[in-house]
Amino acid sequence: MLHLKSLHLSNFGAFKGDQEVVFPEGAGVTAFYGENMRGKTTLLNAIRFALFGRITGRGRRDVSLEAMVNLEAKVEGVRTFEVRLVMTYAGAEYRLTRTARPSAVMTDDYEARYYLERGGHILPPDQARLELERILPSQIARFFLFDGELLQEYEDLLNTESDTGRQISTAIERILGLPVLTGARESAKAALDRAEKDLALAAQGDQKTRELGNQLATLTAEREVLSADLDRHDLALSEQRSRKADIEQDMRRRERMSTLMDKRDRLKAESVAAATRREALIADIQQSMSPAWVSLLRPRLLASAAALREQEATLQAAVTRAQVLKSLAVGHDPDCPTCLQAVNAAAQDKIRRQVELDGDAEHDQQPALAATRRRLDALSAQLGRANPEVLVLKWVTLEGLENERYARQAEIDEIEKSLSGDAEDELRSLRSDYDAVVREIVVLEEGVRVARDELARKSVFRDKLQRNLDKQASGQLDLIRARRDVAGRLYELFDAAVDEYRDQLRHRVEADASKFFLSMTTEPDYAGLQINDSYGLTIVHKDGELIPVRSAGAEHVVALSLVAALQNNAPLRGPIFIDSPFGRLDRGHRERIVAALPGMADQVALLVYEDEMPPDRARAALKTDLLAEWKLERRSARHTEIVKL
Amino acid sequence: MNEKTDKKTIGVVPEQAGTLQRLMEAGHFEQELDAAKFAMAHAIERGVGRGTSEGAGTKWHFGSFDSDGGLKAVIEALYPEETNPYRQIEYLINEGLRLFDKGNGQAPDVVGAILAAAKA
Repeated sequence: MLHLKSLHLSNFGAFKGDQEVVFPEGAGVTAFYGENMRGKTTLLNAIRFALFGRITGRGRRDVSLEAMVNLEAKVEGVRTFEVRLVMTYAGAEYRLTRTARPSAVMTDDYEARYYLERGGHILPPDQARLELERILPSQIARFFLFDGELLQEYEDLLNTESDTGRQISTAIERILGLPVLTGARESAKAALDRAEKDLALAAQGDQKTRELGNQLATLTAEREVLSADLDRHDLALSEQRSRKADIEQDMRRRERMSTLMDKRDRLKAESVAAATRREALIADIQQSMSPAWVSLLRPRLLASAAALREQEATLQAAVTRAQVLKSLAVGHDPDCPTCLQAVNAAAQDKIRRQVELDGDAEHDQQPALAATRRRLDALSAQLGRANPEVLVLKWVTLEGLENERYARQAEIDEIEKSLSGDAEDELRSLRSDYDAVVREIVVLEEGVRVARDELARKSVFRDKLQRNLDKQASGQLDLIRARRDVAGRLYELFDAAVDEYRDQLRHRVEADASKFFLSMTTEPDYAGLQINDSYGLTIVHKDGELIPVRSAGAEHVVALSLVAALQNNAPLRGPIFIDSPFGRLDRGHRERIVAALPGMADQVALLVYEDEMPPDRARAALKTDLLAEWKLERRSARHTEIVKL
Repeated sequence: MNEKTDKKTIGVVPEQAGTLQRLMEAGHFEQELDAAKFAMAHAIERGVGRGTSEGAGTKWHFGSFDSDGGLKAVIEALYPEETNPYRQIEYLINEGLRLFDKGNGQAPDVVGAILAAAKA
């Protein structure tokens, strides 16, 4: 079991100068409290750097070594940083020291070198590399050093088609020790191949079985070629799947940017369509603007038209009056047109006198009446051309389109500001790489399928040949045949054992994960977790139904349960360092998770900010399992001190 | 004023040529004479009275500017005392352009004028 004794930092990130953390010897939890930007993640990275020479930033991207030199120390001329880890493993004490300094070849580049001491003696580089790989293989580091972001990836295990999930499954089987068994199976397979080859060779040496031996030898050679092809394809497929998973993760990290790019492209397409609509509307408005001047004057023109109508009525009345009086005066009409009574002589005389006084009123008023009517007709014609409501509607529509255009353009500009040219090119390149990898995987999968089918076909033929050989073979071949049979049975045994062990592991992981899950969840209606072939876990309700969709908080709890179960079932045990694992979890879950930490591993380091898990609550939840507390105290924005509480 | 004879051509004074140009550049009108008529209406709407423009060039013949005589009828209706309607039209065009010119080189607010008239 791996146990960390101390961690020594020298100008690593925010940790200026030489600082040291001494871990308690017994089993339990060490808590590190620190506000944001004080260096909790940096502390996790210090261990990652010491063990694997890597530093990861947000989105699990590698951080350049140069960026990790303490900035205040850098101003003072320091160019190097160092991390030293003292640990015990399998009864021996190891002292691992890794230093980063500017490269001797390229001054703007950094290189990291390490040396490993065991029992006070520095190990040769090759041995040091092997020892380190044995103590903690980098492929399973995710189960020992993790944060909330890494925990989220376990959701991919539920998706059997996901390459990230496939990668994690492989890592899980690695920590669970399955490679020991699969390695044995491969060795048995190699022994079987050798035995079959030997048998074919021996059969070729016997007159009776020569022909069968020749056929078997040819078949074995063909199968070797096919197996080599299959191995090559499998390896290439595994590499491409791993690459696809990496690209997927990279694309997921850039998801926001991808979303922004898609949004920008959509907005641009909308802009083009809107521009066409706008041009058509402007052309329409230009035509409507020809009589627009009338719309502007409409109220005045309506008032003028009303006045002219009044004037027309007055003039018309005067003309009619004159016409009636004239008619009555000359006696053309004997009756009054108003009262329909006969006009007597006295009245007729009176009318004649009035007509004489008025003169030719009808003739006098007619030109004015005609002029008034002309004007009225002209005004009515102009007013008929004006349609202010439609014009206003068109302008309002255009204004709306303009506003949309400005808003859309402002949004495009804003998006483009946050999309740097390089980042956009990188994303395009990623998408292109992704498509290429997917195509390559399809081709390789087909290649694997064809090779497997061919191998299976040849295996059937080989079995037939071997049966014939067994019938015809003389006693000279007995020993070789017996060796082949033993190798074959051994291979079958290991092959079955792999499946059996994998099945048992899954059941054990499921049982342990369920136990941890129930101890951490606050939901009383949950009964446990159900595991799938890829080690993906689904919550089971106490009524037996599976919970198909779960929240980010539940995802965290399930992922922690899996990690704890893996730790419990792994042949390789070690410390776990958890950086801000609570995500969006509520207080109840946080406290239950903290209380469950001692059961996850012998040595647990928890890095939290105080609001996330106040020290008094951590003490109450862990009681005597809380072995030590440290605080990351600010000295300046670029200087944090690790202080023991 | 009445002693003068009416004009056969209508033009824009040099000081207002820029405003007319900006009206056209804003893309609101298909032809300059539409913009000029709009400026005229704007002047009327703003209560500009009778007058004459000095120094206006020759831009349109009155026959093409007012092919159906409707404009003249409008002027006669709104300015009954006016005996030289086309001279008055020219004056109103130039006054309308002057009123539109805010002195900041911006395009005249044609839409604002239409919306204001619609609300009136």
